[in-house]
Amino acid sequence: MLVYFEFSRVAFLKILSYRLRYFTGILTYFVNVSVYYFIWRSVYSASSDVSGYDLGQIVTYVAVGWIIRSFYFNNIDRDMAAEVMEGKIAINLIKPVDTQLMYLSQTIGESCFRFVMFTLPIAALLCFVYPVRPPATFLSGLLFAMSCLLALFIFALLNFLVGTCALQLQSILGIIRAKYFIMEFMSGLLLPIAFFPRSLQEVMFYLPFQHVSYTPLQIYLGRVAGAAAVRALGIQTVWVAILYLLGRLHWKFSIARLSIQGG
Amino acid sequence: MPIFSRLPGHEGVTVPIIEARNLRKEFRVFKRREGVWGAVRDLFHRDYVTLAAVDGINLNVEEGEFLGYIGPNGAGKSTTIKMMTGILVPTSGEIVAAGLDPYRDRTRYTKTIGVVFGQRTQLWWDIAVIESFKLLRRIYDVSTEDFRQRLGLFGELLGLDELLHTPVRKLSLGQRMRCDIAAALLHYPRIVFLDEPTIGLDVVAKDRIREFLKEINRTMKTTILLTTHDLSDIEELCRRIAIIDRGRLLYDGTLDGLRRRLGRFNQILVHLHDRHSGLQLGQALGSGNGIQWEHLDELTCRIHYNREQVSSAEIIRKIVNQVPVRDIFIEEQPIEEIIKTIYSRGL
Repeated sequence: MLVYFEFSRVAFLKILSYRLRYFTGILTYFVNVSVYYFIWRSVYSASSDVSGYDLGQIVTYVAVGWIIRSFYFNNIDRDMAAEVMEGKIAINLIKPVDTQLMYLSQTIGESCFRFVMFTLPIAALLCFVYPVRPPATFLSGLLFAMSCLLALFIFALLNFLVGTCALQLQSILGIIRAKYFIMEFMSGLLLPIAFFPRSLQEVMFYLPFQHVSYTPLQIYLGRVAGAAAVRALGIQTVWVAILYLLGRLHWKFSIARLSIQGG
Repeated sequence: MPIFSRLPGHEGVTVPIIEARNLRKEFRVFKRREGVWGAVRDLFHRDYVTLAAVDGINLNVEEGEFLGYIGPNGAGKSTTIKMMTGILVPTSGEIVAAGLDPYRDRTRYTKTIGVVFGQRTQLWWDIAVIESFKLLRRIYDVSTEDFRQRLGLFGELLGLDELLHTPVRKLSLGQRMRCDIAAALLHYPRIVFLDEPTIGLDVVAKDRIREFLKEINRTMKTTILLTTHDLSDIEELCRRIAIIDRGRLLYDGTLDGLRRRLGRFNQILVHLHDRHSGLQLGQALGSGNGIQWEHLDELTCRIHYNREQVSSAEIIRKIVNQVPVRDIFIEEQPIEEIIKTIYSRGL
């Protein structure tokens, strides 16, 4: 098991060697939140309540949504696609390690780095510039933190599932792009799920995407609290288990049909 | 204390360490139609062609052997290696290596092998070499003491010391390859697969790597399987070679055996005394009788002759009797030429 800790450490070191990316990243996140802030402000100039959110809540929703995205985000799918294209996936197969766990532990290392170098400065900046509210209660804050951790796993496992497609399809840039937009939309990052038509909300209830962004944010805002919040964490955990098993199966199935580029 | 100690479990093994029987790997290749209309039709219906990259190979490798596995581009070398390392599943046939099925028992199997792909590195690109080594130490569960000792040894033999704290992306090709080879051997594998490890390297780097491999093979009885296009690698390292083309094994035996079988041509290099002797040489040798000759420059000639038709002694006698020469050298036909003949005409 120690080896997977080592993978996290190496991922941490690796990302450290590209510091510039983080300064530009902070700027990108700030601009994104600013755009949504001005959009929502003009929306709320017409009415003070949209689908049960007031302006203060929606600004908090958007800002905290992007802040936690800076923590859970990763590029496992892109990394895997690149490795398949370069024929580097073979290198993973000649080592006595579990590929899925390897990617997961790398992600954890990367997110630890992101948390310190990325999430904290972005949070500080956004809270300073915009009227972002603190968590509803101390307990909400605590449950929210746990929910974010689970969101990280769901996001990473989904990416692994998508990345594995590269083993058979060779080029999955189209799929990755589609997943990116589905993720932004269905996770509730752009819009709270409550704003969607009821029928769509019902479909999304059975999908894992909203547990990446919407669920932690509901807990943060105190719209889901107490027993309901604990239940939400339970559902997230179930999704982690399901996606973990699906990823394993998909990986096993795919490497049996592998044909490697080059050589 | 011996520098290399043999690993436990190596003694008294008589079965081949790698045994491949009727190994076959097919790839389904999508056949594209031509032109725009063809491309549109491809969207709806695709034709596939099945190609056998490896087409029924039988190969046994004994423990401690240093086998050269050669063949032209696209012959199926890498595909064979990928099956033997457990990356690809054979379409049919079977492999048993170190007592395991490389694909089915992958996790256990990969602990007993080391692999170097010359074209791509297995080190982590952005971090210092030593960090990659530390990670590999964890992956293969090498004790701190063994790790330090092996690192010292490899460092000495491969000259790694000044490289260890450099990120891999800043290494030259030769430096990177030395690190890659060390990385593949850190866990003292029983079998090592080297897929073109000297590709693109300069003479000094090549030499260093060869010396290292020789040493490892000799002292640790590590079984090494090497593919290369550089036949001087083979000449220097391998007692046995296997030649593959179009997925089939063409030759399996010693290099000398191959020479005896195919090296019908010898050559003699003649340094003439003065520039007028060239003509005389031509007259002395005549033509036909399996003799051909070429001028390398005004004062040097190379004579190619078929050993079965004419003896070296006879040619030399003819030359020295009639032409003033300074020097004569008998050369064996270069292995490159023998191999070239096999690639273009078969055995």
